[in-house]
Parts: sequence; structure tokens; C-alpha cells
Amino acid sequence: MLMCFSAGIVGGLIFLQRRSLVGEALAHASYPGVVLSVFVASLLFPFSEAIVSVFVLVGAFATAFIGLFVIDRLEKKIQISSDAALCFVLSTFFGIGVLIASRIQTTHALWYRQIQSFLFGQAATMVDAHIYLYGGLALFVSLLFVVLYRRLELLHFDREFARTVGMNVKRIHGILHALFVLALVIGMRSVGVILLSAMLIAPAAAARQWTQRFDHFLILCGVIGMGSGFLGNVFSVKIGGEGLVLPTGPMIVLTATSVCILSLLLAPKRGVFFRLIRLWRFQLRCKQENLLKALYKGRRVALNPFFHFSMQAKGWIKGGELTTEGIREAENLIRLHRLWEVYLVHMGQPSDRVHRSAEEMEHILTPEIEAELNALLGSPKEDPHAQPIPRGEST
Amino acid sequence: MAKAVEVESLTVHYDKVPVLWEVSFEVPQGGLIGIIGPNGAGKSTLIKTLLGLHKPVSGTVRLLGHRFQDVQSRVAYVPQRTSIDWTFPISVLEVVVMGRYGKLGLLKWVKRKDKMAAYHALEKVGMHEYADRQISELSGGQQQRVFLARALLQEADLYFMDEPFAGVDMATEEALLELMSGLKKEGKTLLIVHHDLATVKTMFDWVILLNTCLIDSGPCQEVLTQENIQKAYGNASYLLNETKKLTETKSRGV
Repeated sequence: MLMCFSAGIVGGLIFLQRRSLVGEALAHASYPGVVLSVFVASLLFPFSEAIVSVFVLVGAFATAFIGLFVIDRLEKKIQISSDAALCFVLSTFFGIGVLIASRIQTTHALWYRQIQSFLFGQAATMVDAHIYLYGGLALFVSLLFVVLYRRLELLHFDREFARTVGMNVKRIHGILHALFVLALVIGMRSVGVILLSAMLIAPAAAARQWTQRFDHFLILCGVIGMGSGFLGNVFSVKIGGEGLVLPTGPMIVLTATSVCILSLLLAPKRGVFFRLIRLWRFQLRCKQENLLKALYKGRRVALNPFFHFSMQAKGWIKGGELTTEGIREAENLIRLHRLWEVYLVHMGQPSDRVHRSAEEMEHILTPEIEAELNALLGSPKEDPHAQPIPRGEST
Repeated sequence: MAKAVEVESLTVHYDKVPVLWEVSFEVPQGGLIGIIGPNGAGKSTLIKTLLGLHKPVSGTVRLLGHRFQDVQSRVAYVPQRTSIDWTFPISVLEVVVMGRYGKLGLLKWVKRKDKMAAYHALEKVGMHEYADRQISELSGGQQQRVFLARALLQEADLYFMDEPFAGVDMATEEALLELMSGLKKEGKTLLIVHHDLATVKTMFDWVILLNTCLIDSGPCQEVLTQENIQKAYGNASYLLNETKKLTETKSRGV
């Protein structure tokens, strides 16, 4: 769980940097490190699980870091676009890993199985030594985040300003890169190389839907990551059973992505569901306002029962007649419409082309913009078609 | 009294392309100083180099008589509004509090006192009602005012502002001008990158006219002659751009 927590918060930062793919590339870049270190460690210490896993950590860390370095160089020195650089590193490094692994497969089947556990992750096969090792590292990553919090905030928001207040941006970036690779390596054992980037990005994408604050965001990333780690384990144990083996890694990733999808749909501000509702309400309001204008201008309008009811509920009409509230609202709409026309003509648009834009803007303009328009145009009395502009409430 | 800014034969390259050539000038302390020139003249590059964000190829810079590192806490910077990702999850007040980070040291936590100071700075720019808002909800002018509040919180003697008037509403423009003249009365020096020639004469006391080379610097009336403006903005300057492009292709070897 701690592993997923650290992967979550680190992923949050990557997400804000808009470099989500880097996680994917580096996870794959760590694979040759895993393969090589299993190979070397098993040769030297054939019976010690713990030492092998330390070796794997170091090896994976090393090759992932080299991968990061290569990406950086490719982008800066040779000016390859970043997606190309990422693809290059991803496929080359992973290819090397696979090559060595398949060589081992034929000669040392046991080692190969160990390597496989890093490819797809096998949290269930972990022993106590693993748990202390990985848990400790994850805790370390999380603590560093707390210590560095304010620097991270400043660095990610406004890099140049950060430098002018005397921050050593290069050093922090170096630490961040190390942290990033460390979190990857930690997560690898439970989720696996291939699925790891989902563990980085899914919590971040989910958390971004719910909060607008940097501290909340990072914590939420971590918590969602941790929760997915926990639930993924529970599901794989509960649902799986006789004959049905559900590996934990994919379960964790599936849980995290479900949380992410739910968040994308249901978050109150940015979620698709509520956005659709708001969109629908806005369209409804436009229709109501258009009907109101038509009524105000004295046209005969056949209101269907729904609109009749909803406009009555707003207090705009009563028994088929406009109320004073309704009249005021209608005059305001017309005022916005005509003010906008004056503005467009002021900006050099021909006066016969401004009606359609005003027809839309009358539903959108806020009182603040209205006040600005009024001041800018010097409280005009007539629109470009020589029709009077109703006086606003503020003037 | 030491000069606010002293620049001695400063040359800056950007990706091997020369952006500033042998620029030398001095600016006295106190007052509003405009950095004027056409697009791509190296105005932003100039202030970024003064702040140590770009490394010059040659030349020296002195701020308030010292190297930048030694007077860091007395210098405030307002970056170009468009250089920032405004969708970043952070509130208005949190942005303003960043003005204190330089003085706090980066490991200490923000205290209530700092938050109050940030709130007062927001009050000065007329944005205190927005303190808890998300920065993505602000209009262009409001964003600019938030940045200015952050700079006020730095309580500096020397302010660098990159295009503070670009794309802001009238209310913000007035608020900015008022604040700037307030700072000037306190004896502060403000270096402001500006592109609108029409308002230069009324706004600034001192002008640095720039187009890759320094055209002239000095009190407003002396610098803004028809001849100088013609040099900076006129047809003759297109050769500068052409040669810049050529240097770029040559130095990349394409």
C-alpha cells in the first residue's frame, strides 16, 4: 500500500508536468536492469532472496536512470521531439531486457520465473524482507515529499520565479528525478513493469478531477494509489480462489483505473456527468430567455406546459402575462444584446453582421462585463440599428 | 548612491543565436524605467539575463552596486503572464504567499503572519475578495494583479516586470499605474518591459530603447527622438533579423 502511495504522489507531479508518458518509458527502461541484476545476483548469491531483491532494486534504478538521462539528452542536445525520444528509449531498453531474458529462459528457468514476476508484478509472492525493504523506501519517498513540498509547489508553478528567489532549481530537479525513478522501482515489484505507468497516472488523473489545490491534490493522489493497492489485493484474494487465479498487479491497476473513470464521470466540477447537467441547464435557460424576449416583444408564443411551468416557477410569468420581474429580465437581455452590438460595431464590424453574435452573447455576458462595456462605450442610448437600449439596473 | 542597474558590454546568445549584442547602459535608482523595442528585440531576454536566468556570453551586470546573488532579497520579478500554466491547482493566496519564499528560506512553513501579509498585498491590488479562488478562474487582468501582489510581498527595492500591461483591462491598467507610481514615491526602481510606443512618454521617467543592440538609453525626452525610434522600429532593422536567422541555420549546420 505504501508503495502505491508513493507511486501515486510521484505520479501526481509527472501528471502536472504533462509528461505522463515518461513513466511508461522509464518503467520499461528499468527492465534490463532487473534482468541483469537477477542474473548477476543469482550467480553470486544463489540462495539468498533478500540480497537478490536488493540487487534488483539497484539494477532497475540504474537502468531507469540511464533511460531518463538518455531521454533528456536526446531532447536537449539533438533536439528530437519528446515523444520520439520516449518511444526510442522505451523500445530500445525493453528490447535489450527481453533479449537477455530469453537467453536466460533456456538456461536458467528458475531465474527467468523470478524476472517474470517483475514484468507483471506479483505482490502475493512477497516475503517479509521484501515488505520491509520496499515499505521503507516508499516511506522515504513520501517523507521527502513533505520536506520538499513548498519547493515542489514553487518549481512546478513558476520555474523562473523560483530561480530569482534563490532556489537551486537544478538540484531539486535532480532529487526529483531520483525520487521518480525510485518510486517506479518500488512499484514495479507489486504491479509490474508493463502496468506501472497506470499506477502513476490513474491516481493523478482521478485526483485532478476532485481538487483545485496542490497539497490536497498530492495527498489525494497518494490516497487513491494506496486505496487501489489495498482493494486490488483484497479483490485478488476474495474473488480468486479454487482454480481461478487473479494476479494482484492487474487487479490493483484495474481498481485504480476504475476510480479514475468514475472520477472523470462523477466529479462535481469537472466530471462529465455534472458538466452535461450544467450544459443542459444552460441550454434550457437560453430557450427560456428567448421565449421571454418573444413574449416581451408582444409576439404570440405557444408555450408548452413544461416551459410554462418552469418560467412561472422563476416568477417571470403569471397566468400567461409577464410579471414585473419578467419584464425586468427581458429588458436586461435586450440591453445586453444591443450593448454587444454597439461594441462589435465599435470594434469595426459592419452593423448588419452583429446580430447573430449578440443573439448568443446576451445569454453569456456577466454584470461585470456589462459594466465594462457600458464604461467603454460611454453609456450608449441606441444600438447600431437605431433602437433604444433599455437602461440597466446599475446605471 | 549606487546605480540601480549597471550593464557593461553584455552579449547574450540563445541556442547560439545572438539575441543581445554588446549592450551597455546605466540606470539611476528611483523611478519608472521602460525597456522598449519591437518584437524579438531581446527585451525579455535582457531582464532575464539581469536576473541571472540566462547566462551571458560576455559582459557584466551589477544590480544596486552588487552581483545579483548578493542582493537577491532586494529584487522582485514579475514574469510574463503567459509564461505560466494557469490551470495549476493552486489558490490566489497561495500564489501571493510565494513572494515570501525567498525571505523565509525554503524549509520553514508558511505562518499566519505571512498569510496576512499576502492578504494585505492582495488588498492593495484590489483582489482580496478573490483570495480563495482558483487561479484558473481569473481573467487576464486579475492574473496580472495577483502577480503584482506577489511582487509587492517581496518588499524589494528593484522590480523587474515583463509586459505587465499586455492584454489587461482598463481597471487593471489603472490599478497597475497607481501602484507603480506609489512604489516610485517610496524611492523604488521599476524596470518594465513595454511594447506600446504610444504610452511610453507619459508613463516612464527613463527609457532603454533596444533592438538586439542598444539604440539609446536615458531620460524619456532625450531618447525618444524620431530618429531613434526609426532606428529601432524602422525598415533598417530587418537586416538584423535576417542575419539572426542566417546565424541560426549556419550554427546548426543545416
